[in-house]
Amino acid sequence: MDFHLFSEEESLRENIARFVQDELVPLEPFFENAPDIFEGSRWKSRARLSRDPEVKRYIEIMEGLEKKAEARGLWYLDVPKEYGGLQVSNVAMIAVTEELEKTSIPFELGNHVSNILYACKGEQIDRFLLPCIRGEKSSCFGLTEPGAGSDPSMLTTTATPDGDFFVLNGAKVFPTFADVADFVQVFARLPGTQGREGVTCFLVDTGHPGYRVVRSIETIAGTEPCELFFDNCRIPKDQVLGEVGKGWELNQAWLGARRFQVGIRCHGTAQRVLRRVGDLLRRDPRECDSAALGYFWGELEALRSITYYGCWKADQGLDVRFEAACVKLFGTELLHRVVDFSLEAAGPSVFRKEHAIARAFRYARPRRIVEGASEIQRHIIQRTLFREGIMCMELM
Amino acid sequence: MDLTLSEEERLIRDTAAQFVARELMSQEGSFLKQKESFLPPGDPPRRDLDAAIRKSLIEKAKQIGLWALDLPEEVGGSRAGQVARVLIYLEFGRTALPFEPPSIPAVVAGSPYARRFASGELSLSLAFDEVHKSGGLGEIRASYRRSSDGYDLHSDGMDLVDPGSDLYLLPAKEQGSDEVGLFLLERSAPGVQVEDETDLTTDQTVARLALRGCRLARDRLLGFRDVILETIASEQLRITARSLGMGMRCLDNSLEHARNRVTFGRPLASRQAIQWMLADLSVSLRTCTWLALEAAWKADQGLPYFHDAALAKKRAARMAFEAADTAIQIHGGYGVCKEFPFEGFYREARMMRLLYGREAEMDRTIGEKAIGERRKA
Repeated sequence: MDFHLFSEEESLRENIARFVQDELVPLEPFFENAPDIFEGSRWKSRARLSRDPEVKRYIEIMEGLEKKAEARGLWYLDVPKEYGGLQVSNVAMIAVTEELEKTSIPFELGNHVSNILYACKGEQIDRFLLPCIRGEKSSCFGLTEPGAGSDPSMLTTTATPDGDFFVLNGAKVFPTFADVADFVQVFARLPGTQGREGVTCFLVDTGHPGYRVVRSIETIAGTEPCELFFDNCRIPKDQVLGEVGKGWELNQAWLGARRFQVGIRCHGTAQRVLRRVGDLLRRDPRECDSAALGYFWGELEALRSITYYGCWKADQGLDVRFEAACVKLFGTELLHRVVDFSLEAAGPSVFRKEHAIARAFRYARPRRIVEGASEIQRHIIQRTLFREGIMCMELM
Repeated sequence: MDLTLSEEERLIRDTAAQFVARELMSQEGSFLKQKESFLPPGDPPRRDLDAAIRKSLIEKAKQIGLWALDLPEEVGGSRAGQVARVLIYLEFGRTALPFEPPSIPAVVAGSPYARRFASGELSLSLAFDEVHKSGGLGEIRASYRRSSDGYDLHSDGMDLVDPGSDLYLLPAKEQGSDEVGLFLLERSAPGVQVEDETDLTTDQTVARLALRGCRLARDRLLGFRDVILETIASEQLRITARSLGMGMRCLDNSLEHARNRVTFGRPLASRQAIQWMLADLSVSLRTCTWLALEAAWKADQGLPYFHDAALAKKRAARMAFEAADTAIQIHGGYGVCKEFPFEGFYREARMMRLLYGREAEMDRTIGEKAIGERRKA
């Protein structure tokens, strides 16, 4: 048993820590009053189109940081080697995010590449995958439908084969960034199929005839997910991602890997919120609050430990659905409790819309729902428990 | 990072698991039902393991290196690292049979009693009552004073669990200084008063220990602050590991019972109320497992680990208590029967939550440290 990071992973972590200290921490006072869009990766969405000079100034800073990070060789960390990246492990990516989360600057390393895009083949690579890696294009993820959320196997969008084409018909709801994305990864089913059978993923360019982004919907967290509509949208066969009828597996892969990142992000946000509470309690100490503060610091260490363990297991190529569900459930519920306590400890003054704790309050709530509600995570956990028995809990 | 057990760790774990399954689990049912062979003569107020059975178990445990885990081989112990120790105590925690390697801290290795502790001839109790409150040294009231040929100890009284042991290990503050010393004293030493022995809610007893005019030779002072803190952390890890074992047992049996028990035409396992209790328990068990192993690993690496051990203990004992609570609820009426292990775990885990730092005190300590650390920054 060895909890040390490998030396390359450790030096990467140190590099990131240095970048955070040199470039991000000095910006903290400036970002304290940034508009609400600067939380998570939201600034990459429509904010980029804004003409507000204040927003533009923030975006210029973020873009400057991207150049600096790229110059330090910190940009293509999780990109596979065959596409010119460093292909670092899941554990290393958790260490990277843990370091980045030590500052409140909403900066992410690397362009957002949906991991299922690595299923691209042939011309799809040049047309969809590489531009995403280089940051020239972005995508959104169209799975949820008005009648199919927690149970995506109920999706009803159809893909009817017609010669060298598929014809898509149906509606999607909640893909974030659909309004600014260059294309959508949309899931539809072959006619006459049910459940997980026949689900197929298509890559559809924004503006393609028959594909329409109907509207965007404001949420509590400031994100603006969209509603999509496909009306006899004819898509050539070569825009099927992966294989026809094998879309379900892609969907599973997308969710699996993301849940550990969600865990360490919740850890980071909660930690920053608790530091602020610590600052407040120093001025106005109350014993009951310092005990609760200590309790939550302890819980965060527990979250950190299962996140690293799950990622390590993923790096071994093992099935991590159980671990991923544990991390997603524990992490998002813990963040929610931390924020709730922090508001109690700090009082109404921090409920100002742009206060960091108030932001975390709005941001934490959807986390217990998106990418698998807590109830779904509990379902996955109990399913493994009853299938495998106590063996799934034993040490390897 | 490699979170698999090494070959050596696996061997240790498997040895302990086999011993627990073959020697302890096989007798657990009889013990819990209080078959005659387990009843001491007379009218016993509480359950205990029959002396002859205990003796034969000790011999078997010694032979395979599962005894006196903190004492070196020179004195007859089978010293194990903290990771190995956690793996071993976890296995022993799975059974309600009251038998596990005794906690004889490494610090007594240098004392003249070491060999007899390692052989099981002498028993030791830790008189750490004043430590349990906070998990630190701040509440220690027992005191000592240097005299020409040794030390004079004084204590107005403290609770002592398992007062029947032959020797006690006791931390005391030096009068007029900040120093804290750790003393080894015989129960029979002059000035040692043990009174009012009564039953605990666990299957142990507790008595009042007072020290008046207790004079000890110089070699009875085993160490200072550092060894006491190390002893506390080591005990915390032992309790953590035992909690993990209890949690595993409760989860295992609850899964099995939920599969088999049918209510209103469906197995319990198909009920979401039951599924979620077990899902939440397994998440909690997972988090405790990795905190425990990381703390133990840090100890073996020579890294600071006191904070990690304290946190692991706090969470694990709580988890074990909730695991027992869940198992009792899922087993229904059987759950509270003494013929099943869960009510015993429930009582023991509640006690473990009170040892080497109570929850609220530990939370407050961590919280104040967090507030204080920012002050420095």
